[in-house]
Amino acid sequence: MSASTLPAGAAGPLRDTRVAASLSRRRKQRDVAVKILCVAATVIGLAVLASILYTLIRLGIGGLSLGVFTHMTKPAGENGGLLNPIVGSLIQTGIGAAIGTPIGIMVGTYLSEYARGSALGNAVRFVSDVLLSAPSILIGLFVYQVCVNGYGYSGIAGALSLAVIVIPIVVRTTEDMLRLIPVSLREAAVALGAPKWKATVFICYRAALDGITTGVLLAIARVAGETAPLLFTSLGNDNWSIDLTQPMASLPLAIYKYAGSPSDDWVQLAWVGAMLITFGVLALNIIARVALRPRS
Amino acid sequence: MDNSMGDTRKPLDGKAEIGPITARSNEAMGTSRIAIRDLDFFYGANKALKSITLGIPEKQVTGMIGPSGCGKSTLLRVLNRMYDLYSGQRAIGEVLMDGKNIIASDVDVNQLRSRIGMVFQKPTPFPMSIYDNVAFGVKLHERLSKSDMDERVEWSLTRAALWDEVKDRLGASAAGISGGQQQRLCIARTIATRPDVILLDEPTSALDPISTLKIEELIDELKHEFTIVIVTHNMQQAARCADQVAFFFIGELIEVGAAAQMFTSPRQKRTQEYITGRFG
Repeated sequence: MSASTLPAGAAGPLRDTRVAASLSRRRKQRDVAVKILCVAATVIGLAVLASILYTLIRLGIGGLSLGVFTHMTKPAGENGGLLNPIVGSLIQTGIGAAIGTPIGIMVGTYLSEYARGSALGNAVRFVSDVLLSAPSILIGLFVYQVCVNGYGYSGIAGALSLAVIVIPIVVRTTEDMLRLIPVSLREAAVALGAPKWKATVFICYRAALDGITTGVLLAIARVAGETAPLLFTSLGNDNWSIDLTQPMASLPLAIYKYAGSPSDDWVQLAWVGAMLITFGVLALNIIARVALRPRS
Repeated sequence: MDNSMGDTRKPLDGKAEIGPITARSNEAMGTSRIAIRDLDFFYGANKALKSITLGIPEKQVTGMIGPSGCGKSTLLRVLNRMYDLYSGQRAIGEVLMDGKNIIASDVDVNQLRSRIGMVFQKPTPFPMSIYDNVAFGVKLHERLSKSDMDERVEWSLTRAALWDEVKDRLGASAAGISGGQQQRLCIARTIATRPDVILLDEPTSALDPISTLKIEELIDELKHEFTIVIVTHNMQQAARCADQVAFFFIGELIEVGAAAQMFTSPRQKRTQEYITGRFG
C-alpha cells in the first residue's frame, strides 16, 4: 500500500464502525452456515455407517450360535456352520499379510530413503499407485493366470492375490510415514557414525512405527473382506481343508455364495459371516488404536 | 596423503585470494587439530565455499560467524562429511586431520564421524529412552558390557551437565524432557562416542536464554577435553564462547583471529561492518 492512500496526520484513517459491524455480521452468518453444512455432512456419513452396523446386527445376531464356530458349511437345511470359512479367511489373510507386509515396507523404504527423485523410484511409485486403485478382480485374474491356470485352485493362490493387494497399501503408508521424519533426525543418526541402513532401521523405522503399523492393519482390514480376488484363486471349499495346495474356503466367498441363495438358513449364515468380518475388522482397528496410543 | 582430488581444483581468481592470505595469519592460535587448505565446495554447479584455508586449533573453541548463506554451516558439514548424504554436493581441496585428508574418497566416513561429532540446530532426540539415546552411538563403534555402558552413559550425561536432572528417569522417553535438556542430551550423545572434535551448528538458536546460558557454560567446560567448532548467528555468543573467530561472507573466509581481536579491532572493513550490525 502506498502512503498516498492514507490521509496525512498521525492518527491514520478513521474506521467506519457501521461498515465494520456489517462485515462482522456477515462473517458470523457464514460461520453458522458452514458449521451447519459440516454437521449435516457428518450426520449423513455416520447415519449410513450406523445403518449398516444396525442392519448387520439385526439380521446377523439371530443366527449367531456356537455351532457357527464349530460346524463346517453344510448343504442347505442341515444346520451348517462357518468353521471352515473362518479358518480359511484367517489363513489366507494371515499369509497374504505375511507376504505383502515385508515387501511393501521394503519398497516403501526404497522409495523414501534411496530413490528420492530418481527415475526408477518415480516409476515404481507410479506403478504402486496404479496397483493401489486397480480393481481387485483384475488382481484375481492376474494370479489366476500365474498360479492357478495349469496348477488348479489353491489356498496359496488366494493368499498371493491378497498379498498383491496388501503391497501397494503398505508401500504408500510406509513411504508417507518415513517422509514425515525430519531430515535432521536421519542426519543426527548418521552424524554419530551410523551407516545409512542402521539409521533407517533403528531410528527411522522406530520413529515411523505407529504409522507403518496402522498402514499394515488397514491393509489387513481391506483384504479380510475381499471377495473378487479369491473367486478364481482359492475358489472356496465346503469341506474342511487347511491344505494350501487345495481350494480353500473363506468368509467373503461363503457370504457371496449364501447371500443370494433361496434357502433361509444359508441367508442367515451369510449375515452372520458379514457381521463376523465387520466386527473382526472393527476389533483390529480398535486394538491398533489402543496399542498405538501415543506414549507419554 | 591423498591429494589426488586437489589437482582438479580451479585456479584461484583474484577475489578468492583474500581467504588464504588472512587465514594463514591464524597460525599463532596454537596446534591445529584440523587444517583446512584451499577448500572449494559445490552444491551442483553453485560454488558455496571459495578456497578456504583455516586452522582449527586443538582444545579451543572456533566460532564461525557471518550472514545467512555465507557458507559457515556448509564448512561445518564438510568437516564430518555430512554432505556425502546428498548427491550433487562435493568438496575439493584438503582437510587434514592427523595427516590424512578427510575429504578423500577412501576415508571411512562412519569412523570419521565417530571422531568428529555434530550437534544440530534443533534438538534431535531419537525416539527411544534417554539411556538408549546415549548408548546408540557408542554401540555403533564399541562392544561394552552392561556395567561399562552404564558408566559411559553416566560419564557422558555428567559432562553434558544433564546427569542430575535425568538420573532417576533414564528409561523415560527422550521426547518428554524440555528442549534445552534435549539439546544437552544430544551433546551427551555426541561426547559418548569420545570424539576429538565436536561441531555445533547453531546449537542454541532454538532455545530459551536460560538453556542457552547452560549450553554456553557447557561449551566452556568441554573445550578442556574436546576441540570445538561452533556456528552461530549470535555475535555475543561468539564473543562469549569462542577463542578463535572466523568471519565468512558469500563463501569466502574474510578474516580469522583471536576472538578478542576480532571483536575489538577487526582488520577487514566487512568484518567491522558485520559485527557492528551494519549488515547481515
